[in-house]
Amino acid sequence: METTTLTAKEEAKQVKKMKRSETWRRVKRNKMIYLMILPGLIYFLIYKYLPMYGLIISFQDYKPYLGIFGSEWVGLEHFNRLFTSSEFWMIFKNTLVLFGLQIFIYFPIPIIISLMLNEVRHSFFKRGVQTLIYIPHFMSWVVIVSISYVMLTLDGGIVNAILETLGFQKVNFLLNDDWFRPMYILQVIWREAGWGTIIFLAAITAVDPQLYEAARMDGANRFRQMWHITLPAIRNVIIVLLILKIGDVLELGFEHVYLLLNSSNRNVAEIFDTYVYVAGLQQGQFSYSTAVGFFKGAVGLVMVVFANWLAKRFNEEGIY
Amino acid sequence: MSNWKKLMGIMLLLLFVLLAACSSDSTTEGGDNSGGDDDSSEETNEEEGADSDEPYAFTIMANLHTPEVPNEKVLEQIEEATNTDIEIQWVPDNNYEDRLNTAFATNSLPEAVFLKNQTTFIQFRDAMEDEQFWEVGQYLDQFENLSNLKDNVLDNTRVNGNLYTLYQGRPLSRQGLIYRKDWADNLGLEAPTTTDEFMEMARAFTEDDPDGNGEDDTFGVTDRSDLVYGAFKTVSSWFGTPNEWGEQDGQLLPEFMFDEYKQTMDFFKEMHENGYINQDFPVTSKPDQQEFFKNGTAGMYVGSMGDVGSLYNDAEAINPDVEFDVHNHIEGPDGEFGVWAIPGYGSLVMFPKSSVETEEDLLKILGFFDQLMTPEVMNYAYWGIEGEHYEVVEDRALPTDDQSLFDREVKPYQAIEIGEPETNGRYEGYFDYEVKAKSEELFKDNENYLIENPTVPLYSETYVDDGARLQEIITDATYNYIIGQIDEAGFDDAVENWKSQGGDAIIEEFNASE
Repeated sequence: METTTLTAKEEAKQVKKMKRSETWRRVKRNKMIYLMILPGLIYFLIYKYLPMYGLIISFQDYKPYLGIFGSEWVGLEHFNRLFTSSEFWMIFKNTLVLFGLQIFIYFPIPIIISLMLNEVRHSFFKRGVQTLIYIPHFMSWVVIVSISYVMLTLDGGIVNAILETLGFQKVNFLLNDDWFRPMYILQVIWREAGWGTIIFLAAITAVDPQLYEAARMDGANRFRQMWHITLPAIRNVIIVLLILKIGDVLELGFEHVYLLLNSSNRNVAEIFDTYVYVAGLQQGQFSYSTAVGFFKGAVGLVMVVFANWLAKRFNEEGIY
Repeated sequence: MSNWKKLMGIMLLLLFVLLAACSSDSTTEGGDNSGGDDDSSEETNEEEGADSDEPYAFTIMANLHTPEVPNEKVLEQIEEATNTDIEIQWVPDNNYEDRLNTAFATNSLPEAVFLKNQTTFIQFRDAMEDEQFWEVGQYLDQFENLSNLKDNVLDNTRVNGNLYTLYQGRPLSRQGLIYRKDWADNLGLEAPTTTDEFMEMARAFTEDDPDGNGEDDTFGVTDRSDLVYGAFKTVSSWFGTPNEWGEQDGQLLPEFMFDEYKQTMDFFKEMHENGYINQDFPVTSKPDQQEFFKNGTAGMYVGSMGDVGSLYNDAEAINPDVEFDVHNHIEGPDGEFGVWAIPGYGSLVMFPKSSVETEEDLLKILGFFDQLMTPEVMNYAYWGIEGEHYEVVEDRALPTDDQSLFDREVKPYQAIEIGEPETNGRYEGYFDYEVKAKSEELFKDNENYLIENPTVPLYSETYVDDGARLQEIITDATYNYIIGQIDEAGFDDAVENWKSQGGDAIIEEFNASE
């Protein structure tokens, strides 16, 4: 009995060893190719992993003049403060709601636009539309938010002027917290939807035209072709992009939200990014805001892993 | 294979060269900014060797209030007069706090660092107490001009009795009303002397067609998203609200716990409901706020009365018939006039020990600020070069008509002023626009009615740590009350929230340190 277990163990060891030497040999054989990933590796080490040591300060009462090594350790105090703060759930909820809007309202739009553009026969028209809807992507949020402000203000804004001439009540778009979310998501769609179509359109062009011919032969109309050929063909791309999007769960565009944020919509517009900025950089609470950022990063990581797992459950390729 | 090796070798080499280039870039960056003059000055340095005449080189971080970084014309004059080689790190006013905090956190503050205002000073108190900055009080007596700095202002900037900063003086209160004189004349109105008359003027400017064009296209007060330097705080002073903190039944309490604060909110709420004030003022920027006033949409502007000069300049270009006037004395319901005061300084300059390494260096830098406080040098910094940027009229400086030249070459340097005309001897401004001159008179008149902030010399740790974040609760609630999103109960809830999140501790600590 004992001997058999031993041999089994040894065998496993042997196999492991062989496997390891096998990997090692492969690396050795292709060392030049492996060397080529070195610059990328160095980049990630220096700019992505090295700065992570700064997360230490979220467990300290960090004082810049004492440095990371001199500051006092306070354990989880900052996390305690975050989770017990009355603002925490508000910020958490706001972040998730904006995230939900991004996933459920914004995300499908580029797909729909791509499918629609794909059906356009006139290539001149198609290109023209494509170019036009890309353009907003190159505008900065400052410009977009300012334009919205000028259009929506009660003091001479054109939208309210039109509402008034049509006999409606003026609407306080900027100061009413009910309007923050629609305004946010509409601006996101206006700016990003066109740009988002690029990858989908590229994926669509890769679909084998023979499939369409065969389908037409079988009497499928255009809608059926779209449903049974185009969409399944780009399903992989959609899922990968969705996972990446979920990975960005808490990256809702700091600049954009911060520009829209004001005293009367803070209860719906304050998100982790804006909170970190105000608490950390403007008010100098380095440790606390690092703790908030840390938490945000952890949530993002969980979401990506979860989304990837979900994708694999449905027999799709994940991102890793 | 050998080809591969070569290729890889070259690639690695390139990588290292790139890395090396990056790092050497950052070390020479400082020199690059000051342009071509560097070479020549370095050469002369070498020739002179370690002579004591060698200009002393250091860096100042200062606040940039104009859109553009100035050229070095004026700076060269200052350098020549003080025998220094100065580099100024200009940081736009908008993100001064970020940069200040980031530079501090990464230990990269330069030798002389200007703070932005009182709030940033309070943030840095901790670090000052921890001796991260040089105590300068002990050296002031060695310097002829620095020792003239006003004691009462210096006292406002002491930390535990020690002095870590030099101050930049400001009139104690510049707040007041700027209004359309021509509109008031059209409607037969006088300058308001009470808050009721103020409301009446706002109503008349909104409803009685003050510009006489037969259209309903005007309103009364133009305000912006700033409760302190916008209209709110000044109006609250008229109502008799204390400045930040006030005493009630022998206890110090924050201003928003006083009835006068609520009266002020009601006053604004009434103006907002009736359309006497721009409806979106909680999100209006300063340029937009001023635009309403300049282009003849609004007729009343509450804030720094000194703004009348630039406002008039622009407004006149749109409508040559425009007439402005300034006014300060407006009584509240109790028949008293008061106006809130700042602690006598606008900005402060401090000297981090991390960059000023020895006492000797500190004395040289203080020596520079001492020389800066002579009329000759300060006039360079404040008014530029005589004959080119300003003329002397009746012993005062009249800046050139070419405002954009002045803004480009001189104005930014005003940010490094130390002291005030009384102590540094620079020219006061001469204004050929008499309303502007009147505003300067009214600054002085304001000094008879000041409402001071009693907590300036006091210390509360919670206030230092959390004060700014807590204040946000009150600021939000104040706006929401004015625009009608919350009622009085909602405001009281916000105050309770403020108290429970740390406000109680602040009240206790301030009262204990009194």
